[in-house]
Amino acid sequence: MNPEILLDELERDALTEIVNIGVSRAAANLRKMVGQQVLLSVPSIDIVSQTRAARLIGEREVSKLVAVRQDFKGAFSGRALLIFPHEKSLELVRAVTRDELNAAELVEMEHEALTETGNIILNSCLATMANMLRQSLTMTIPVVIRGDSATLFEVWRDAPADAPVLFLYIDFTVRDRNISGYIAMLMNIPSLVAVKELIAAFIERVVGSDD
Amino acid sequence: MTEDRNPLDHAIAAAASGSWEWDIGLDRLWIDERFAELYGLDATQTRTPLPTSTFFLRIHRDDKTRMRIAVAGMLGGSENFSKEFRIQVPDGSIRWMHGRGQTILGVKDEPLRFTGLLVDVTDRKRAEERLRIAQKAGGIGAFEYIDGFAAVTVSEEFCRLLGLLPAPALPVPTINRLVTQGYGPLIPEQIGDEDAELAGEFLVTRSDDAQPRWIARRGEIIREGTAGGYRLVGVIYDISAAKAAERELRELNETLEDRVQSEIDERLGAQAALRQSQKMEAVGQLTGGVAHDFNNVLQVIGGNLQLLAGDVAGNLRAQQRLQTATAAVARGSRLASQLLAFGRRQPLAPKVINLGRLIRGVDDMLRRALGEGVEIETIISGGLWNTLVDVVQVENALLNLAINARDAMDGQGNLTIEVGNAFLDDRYAARHAQVDPGQYVVIAVTDTGCGIPAEIIEQVFEPFFTTKPEGQGTGLGLSMVYGFVKQSGGHVKIYSEFGQGTTVRIYLPRTRELEDVEVDTEAGPITGGTETVLVVEDDEQVRGTVIDLISELGYRVLKAKDVQSALAVLETGISIDLIFTDVVMPGQVRSTELARQARERLPNAAVLFTSGYTENSIVHGGRLDEGVELLSKPYTREALAQKIRQVLRKRGLPASSAARQQAAATEPTGSPLRMRVLLVEDELMIRLSTVDILEKLGHAVSEAANATQALELLNKDTFDVIIADVSLPGMRGDELAARAISLQPQLRVIFATGYGLPPTGAQDALRRAVTLQKPYGEHNIVDALKTATSVQPLQ
Repeated sequence: MNPEILLDELERDALTEIVNIGVSRAAANLRKMVGQQVLLSVPSIDIVSQTRAARLIGEREVSKLVAVRQDFKGAFSGRALLIFPHEKSLELVRAVTRDELNAAELVEMEHEALTETGNIILNSCLATMANMLRQSLTMTIPVVIRGDSATLFEVWRDAPADAPVLFLYIDFTVRDRNISGYIAMLMNIPSLVAVKELIAAFIERVVGSDD
Repeated sequence: MTEDRNPLDHAIAAAASGSWEWDIGLDRLWIDERFAELYGLDATQTRTPLPTSTFFLRIHRDDKTRMRIAVAGMLGGSENFSKEFRIQVPDGSIRWMHGRGQTILGVKDEPLRFTGLLVDVTDRKRAEERLRIAQKAGGIGAFEYIDGFAAVTVSEEFCRLLGLLPAPALPVPTINRLVTQGYGPLIPEQIGDEDAELAGEFLVTRSDDAQPRWIARRGEIIREGTAGGYRLVGVIYDISAAKAAERELRELNETLEDRVQSEIDERLGAQAALRQSQKMEAVGQLTGGVAHDFNNVLQVIGGNLQLLAGDVAGNLRAQQRLQTATAAVARGSRLASQLLAFGRRQPLAPKVINLGRLIRGVDDMLRRALGEGVEIETIISGGLWNTLVDVVQVENALLNLAINARDAMDGQGNLTIEVGNAFLDDRYAARHAQVDPGQYVVIAVTDTGCGIPAEIIEQVFEPFFTTKPEGQGTGLGLSMVYGFVKQSGGHVKIYSEFGQGTTVRIYLPRTRELEDVEVDTEAGPITGGTETVLVVEDDEQVRGTVIDLISELGYRVLKAKDVQSALAVLETGISIDLIFTDVVMPGQVRSTELARQARERLPNAAVLFTSGYTENSIVHGGRLDEGVELLSKPYTREALAQKIRQVLRKRGLPASSAARQQAAATEPTGSPLRMRVLLVEDELMIRLSTVDILEKLGHAVSEAANATQALELLNKDTFDVIIADVSLPGMRGDELAARAISLQPQLRVIFATGYGLPPTGAQDALRRAVTLQKPYGEHNIVDALKTATSVQPLQ
């Protein structure tokens, strides 16, 4: 892979922290929605090829997947995916509607609830990132897609074959609900180069401040 | 994996760990005594707010930046903090710390305080390091599964063993779906109440390369009090190699008896093959010996019959009897030669050949021999190797096999001839006597005839063994094939199914040499001349031979032993038409310089070079320089004669020698030369009749009854040809010939023999010797003399 876009250890730490802030915000928002504690793992981050990203998820999740997709534009542009196993999707809907719906209503609400949940999580994540990196981003309306891991990563047609993916392996778990998922960001090389530069600037600010 | 934020943790951990509280609004840090102790700070500092930079004070240089970033994340709104880092205390020692913290948010979710616990994990880090190294070195992957959870905590090696991408935790189904159905789950979902250990072997399909592997699981079930709750702690490792070995051993055990039996059968087979081959060897020697004596007898009879022809001229009845007797001698001689073929004593003239071409060529002959009732199919593999073999004998062998096939098929059926490459391995060679492992060209002749009963198949190669009715076949056909193939370094094998057909496979050793191409370049009569030739040659023996040869062709010959003396000859101003010089000469002056000076002084003289090899001063870029004439060694007498004439012709005819040239041209050419022949033969009768024939042919003959006499004569006189019997009393004929050649290098050698050539031991000098097969007549002698004087190169 293009060495320009590969993150060194420090940059990866910095990005992890930035994303950590983002998912914390997302968790806080989700918490408000479900009225339950939402636990988040400390994310692990890497830039991998699309194929490898598909394999990373495909290996772990046997069943079909559901994803909420949002595109972002700004100093760095790309596509964000909130991914979770298909069978957890209704569970998530049940959680965010606080178990107030019957089965028929659940199915009816599913699409809308997923879109809204995805919007909250991805938006908090991306907005925080942009904020920490002192940039602004615009986001498109979220879309729900379904399929196996390969399909999810294939949809980004504009990307060159096997484009790099900023892959965030975040487990988020809603207490007593057994829900978990992943966040992936697909960016093209110019955007990844931009992100890398912004991260370097962030490190400079943080490390330079206390000495 | 997930952050543990039970508020009780704080109290439980407090005793052993240090704690801190970072007031984000005030930008101050509070620490407890344990924190101060771990950081090597004064205990008094625990009671006062400290600058927040205190947090980084002891952090190891290499971890500082990382930790600043992590803290910046917390201050920026991140909720979870779980970091391992090194601190360096004032005494210089380094300790590993695990800091675990969280932010406390305000009503608007803004971070107010960042609090956490600090634990010394140095021992754990060391243990982890040892464990990691042990696991990696031992190929052991660890896992821990807590009842009720969806994921299993795993080590890197665990992932590697299953071909999964490394991850700290894996969902249970991800692991279990790799196990082949019927081998149970690797991570059990149900545990019996009494179970305490985790043991099992699983056939899995690795995720990355889809390879099947055997994985062993060992571990313990740990019950920790809570009702029904348990932890599974265990390891996995790859046992594919052990499994394979185990299976192999089991199979070996199961087949032990069979293998012993087949080994015994094989040994018995090899012993039988050896016995048979020894028997064939003995019979071969016997028949060879008989044939030899038989030939000597025939020689005497035949020779005298020929001489008698003169005495009974005019007596018709006598002449008729003489003819009958001569025909009988011929038949006897054929029989003897067949016996010799079996006895591996026939003279072979092997050449490098591609058998595919040969067999396509004999197709016609076979069709005629087999008649219309037999379909012939010829299959020749592509990329066929070459073999070194006597072509005539291959044809004979094929014809013999084809005729046997025809008789076996009663004139109706299919005959298949296949030619291909074959490799006989050590195992095959061990099972067959006198077979060397290696590469062979194989000819397989298969018929659809009556087949050979198994009980007599071993005997078919023995001489005079025949199943054909009396009067049909001599019983020598397959024997000849056998002898010929063995003599050619090959192997012959017969397979037959009674009532189905027979296949004979002839293996002839592969040669890597290129195929010999037959060219008739040097055909045509030998033409001499009367010009003057200067021979420049440093090798005394070669020089002597060349001079004899050129003189014999009628030329005037001058000689020089090196370039210096050649130049001296040129100085004398003597008229020279041709300088014949070796390219590589000793001394300061090169042969090319001689050529240059010769052209200056004697513009009419031609220069002919000769060389044993062509890489040198007169060849550039693989081609001869312009105007340079070269005769490569070794050359025949004809080649020399022709080349000299060609070079002289090119040169144009100078006035001085034009007349002589004219004279030479009008002389009759091609008449046989009168030769001085030394005949060495111990059988008096044969010697006498041979002398008669040679003298009748106009040659001068000296005779010797043994090697001693012959050597005496060789020391006294010069000869052109020696005709020697191979089996002389005392010194053998070939040894004598070698001695003779060292005495008189120009001598051509003809062996007279009732055997073929001695198969081994012949020296290089004798390789081109001509064989005169006994019994011989006048025309045989003429042919032999002709061949000897044309094919034998000069030394």
